[in-house]
Amino acid sequence: MRSILLAVLAAYVVAAIHSVLAFVNKRRSLQRVSEWSMAIGFILHTAALIAEWLLEGHYPLFYRSETLSFLAWAMVGAYSLVLYKYSARALGPFTLPLVSILIFVALLTESESGAKEASGFSETWLFPVHTTLLFSAYAAFFVVFVASVMYLVLERELKLKTFSAIFHRLPSLTTVNEIATVAAALGLTFLTLGIASGMLWSSSQYNRLWHNDPKEIFAVLTWLLYLALIIYRSTAQWRGRRAAWMGVAGFALVLVTFFGARFMGGYHVFG
Amino acid sequence: MPIVLVGVNHKTAPVEVRELLAFSEAACSAGLRDLIDGKILQEGLIVSTCNRVEVLAATDQIQNGTERITTFLGQSHRLPADVFESHLYSHTDDHAVRHLFRVASSLDSMVVGEAQVLGQVRQAYSLALEAGTTGKVLNRLVHHAFHVAKRVRTETGIGANAVSISYMAVELGKKIFGSLKGHTVLVIGAGEMAELSTRHLLNAGVSRVLISNRTEASAQKLAGEFGGEAVPFNHLPDYLKEADIVICSTGASKYVVTEEMVREALEKRRNRPAFFIDISVPRNVDPAIGNLPNIFVFDVDDLEAVISSNIREREREAERAELIVASEVMQFQQALRALDVGPTIGALKERLQSIARTELGRQRGRLGDLTPEQEAAVEALLLATVNKISHPLFSHLRRSYDASVPETLQAWRDIFGLEE
Repeated sequence: MRSILLAVLAAYVVAAIHSVLAFVNKRRSLQRVSEWSMAIGFILHTAALIAEWLLEGHYPLFYRSETLSFLAWAMVGAYSLVLYKYSARALGPFTLPLVSILIFVALLTESESGAKEASGFSETWLFPVHTTLLFSAYAAFFVVFVASVMYLVLERELKLKTFSAIFHRLPSLTTVNEIATVAAALGLTFLTLGIASGMLWSSSQYNRLWHNDPKEIFAVLTWLLYLALIIYRSTAQWRGRRAAWMGVAGFALVLVTFFGARFMGGYHVFG
Repeated sequence: MPIVLVGVNHKTAPVEVRELLAFSEAACSAGLRDLIDGKILQEGLIVSTCNRVEVLAATDQIQNGTERITTFLGQSHRLPADVFESHLYSHTDDHAVRHLFRVASSLDSMVVGEAQVLGQVRQAYSLALEAGTTGKVLNRLVHHAFHVAKRVRTETGIGANAVSISYMAVELGKKIFGSLKGHTVLVIGAGEMAELSTRHLLNAGVSRVLISNRTEASAQKLAGEFGGEAVPFNHLPDYLKEADIVICSTGASKYVVTEEMVREALEKRRNRPAFFIDISVPRNVDPAIGNLPNIFVFDVDDLEAVISSNIREREREAERAELIVASEVMQFQQALRALDVGPTIGALKERLQSIARTELGRQRGRLGDLTPEQEAAVEALLLATVNKISHPLFSHLRRSYDASVPETLQAWRDIFGLEE
């Protein structure tokens, strides 16, 4: 498993380097190398996840190394969709290096064994659904974040009428706005279903919907923020800069939800 | 065969001199037939644009060839040499090749990266083809120049950013809206710049053109030209809400588009972004609208500032293009050398003769004492045999070279290991 993941890491690193170079030099040939390398990495990664699931006997999204690897997988998937739908190649140099780092850290922490046993959580199908949905939401919110930052940069330079080198390398204002909108809507859907499935699982396991632990509270705050973002966007009052700022703020909340819970303790601490 | 290039461009000669030397298409063909007589110059072509007049030729005699071209430039325009000679530059071989590559790639242009010059070189080449004054050397050279120009355009951003006001509208439109399809442009007023911008926008895919002018008739006329709609000038606010791109160029002395109008339009547009290009002086669009969300406004000074930064960006890209040109010049020279039949035959001949001489040296002892005449006769016998046997081979090589089959040449070079 480790050797496959090493190959995945190599493919993603090659993809990341070529993506950054393509961004800097505006070279299509480098971009093609990046996309092929990423495709190979993604296929291997998917195979590794399935193999792990079959061999280890639990859904590969429980221990810390697994969560990082799965998050990376979801991010590559999200970037691929953006690439396919909007050909917004500029997202690559921001996504792929981070993906590589996630896999690298996952490889470093692999040997670590968790505080809780995974087996107890795999008995119902709801738990894997709960985690998968939430990680898909995180990946979507990451896309919202990157697109929002791009929007802010573009908008600022258009207002100031001075264009830096990065300006010419970003997609159009409308494109990044649309990416942020669609990704936010998808992310919110995943988050809603993720929270709901978590509650269902918890009630079936402990007869309790709500544990009042930090992760849950932050997840609900995140949910509220993205809900507000979607509503304001659809009523056309807050499109543009303010929506973009919300996209950035929302991601800060996502980070707190994802990593913060570890430090605040509570029920949602596993690995 | 050596290549020479003689000419003037916008850097070495003022327009008064360039226009004296310019060739019309007819003069170009006639001049070429006159110039390329096969005695001094074997192949030639003339590039004549508003920024340059250059004669490119393949010749056996560099010095005479250059002089011949200079005299030709004077004679064909009936100009005394002192009028233009001091402005001429002449390049030979590598330098001539490099110069042509730079011209075709638009590195030698007044506006670096402009796209027209490649078309002009193409045109010059097809004129020379018609006149029958190109051959193996120039055909290869010019095709290589096209290849270099294509590489430079795709691998560098030399032509990427707009360097004219009229094209800025398209570039900014694309940066804001992505595709211009389905978008509407509103032109207020008239003028060359506004018309040119509109034309560019239409070519870039804008779906709808609205034209408004204080004089209804001129709006009608322009609308007819663009297949657009003329809209009444006093109902401007009603149409502002439909416009994604507004180009304003009137002679008014106060703001034609006010902040109040744009604020209302923005509300009706449900905050969809819009951008304004104000090319009138004094300004006709209140710059304060730039403070409204999702509204972007550029006046002439803003556009000029962006253009000069784009030109700097192009110059940075040009540095990368120069590297491509340098490596292509080397590749071209290598290809040419490998193709050249003369050196190959010379080297083959030398190889065969040295074999004969070595064998003679080995057997010389057995021949005993010979008079110098006998000695010379033996050597002549050997060399003549070698030459007679190899003669059909060399003829074959020359024929295949003329028929442009470089593989044959390469095959013989490989057989005798001439590359080492």
